[in-house]
Amino acid sequence: MADLLSISSIRERIFNPTKHEKTVARSSNPFAQTSFKGNVLTADVFVSENDKTNEKQNNAISFTGKLKASALVGSISNFGSKIQAGIETVVAFANRIKDNVVNCWNKLNSTEITFEPAKEAISKAGGKVSDAIHSMFEPGISAKQIAKMEDLSVPRQLLMDNVQAWEASLAS
Amino acid sequence: MVDKKVIKNVKNIIDGLAMHQNPESVNVLEDIGTNSKVDEIREMTAKALVQKNMPESLKVVITNKGKGINDMSTGVAMTTINELLSLDDKTEAIRILEDTVENHSDEEVRDNARSIKALMALS
Repeated sequence: MADLLSISSIRERIFNPTKHEKTVARSSNPFAQTSFKGNVLTADVFVSENDKTNEKQNNAISFTGKLKASALVGSISNFGSKIQAGIETVVAFANRIKDNVVNCWNKLNSTEITFEPAKEAISKAGGKVSDAIHSMFEPGISAKQIAKMEDLSVPRQLLMDNVQAWEASLAS
Repeated sequence: MVDKKVIKNVKNIIDGLAMHQNPESVNVLEDIGTNSKVDEIREMTAKALVQKNMPESLKVVITNKGKGINDMSTGVAMTTINELLSLDDKTEAIRILEDTVENHSDEEVRDNARSIKALMALS
């Protein structure tokens, strides 16, 4: 009789397997599917993910007391000093860059162009630009200014200089 | 090639001296302008001296040999004559011309003054 019961239970397992799979689904035990005769392990021997999260939560610091709160504030002020140090580093970096630029400028100024044609071309171009700017912004001598001058030695000198310049340009 | 800025400066200084009230300005124009080697400068100076219409300035361009109406350059002489003829008040210029015709030692200067005086009477 006992054998018949066991055969019927086997037959039930063969023809109605989903009945047992439900039990398996509730557990994370991978051996549960293969457990014979429906003897499923009730105790989960594997550590589930839920348990891990719980453990993490348990390990998390909870600032409840004044001491812990002050520790938190202290850590924040430490962060401030770290930020301050970071800013100082940036300032130092900027200063270094600036120094490099200034050095480069000084070096350019002190650099002498030894290639004569290039030197002449640059100096000529500079002279032309300088003359153009000078003539553009120079107000020149106006007749009204001369007429208002009380001391005639100034217009005398100006006239002499310009007449001489005119005569010199014709002579050359 | 003369720099345009120099030409402009010379013109402005001479024009300024022409407007200047100080009689010393005539000496500046005579010393520097009328003795210049450049015809254009002498021409501008002669015009300025006539425009001043002062006895001292008119004497410079009428009675001096080689200046104003007696300049060796025809252009300078003609410009000076034209400027004298253009004067609104010719009284002083005619008086100096008459004096030059009567009293100047140089014949050429006297002849020139006589011709200009005749032109001014006609104008």
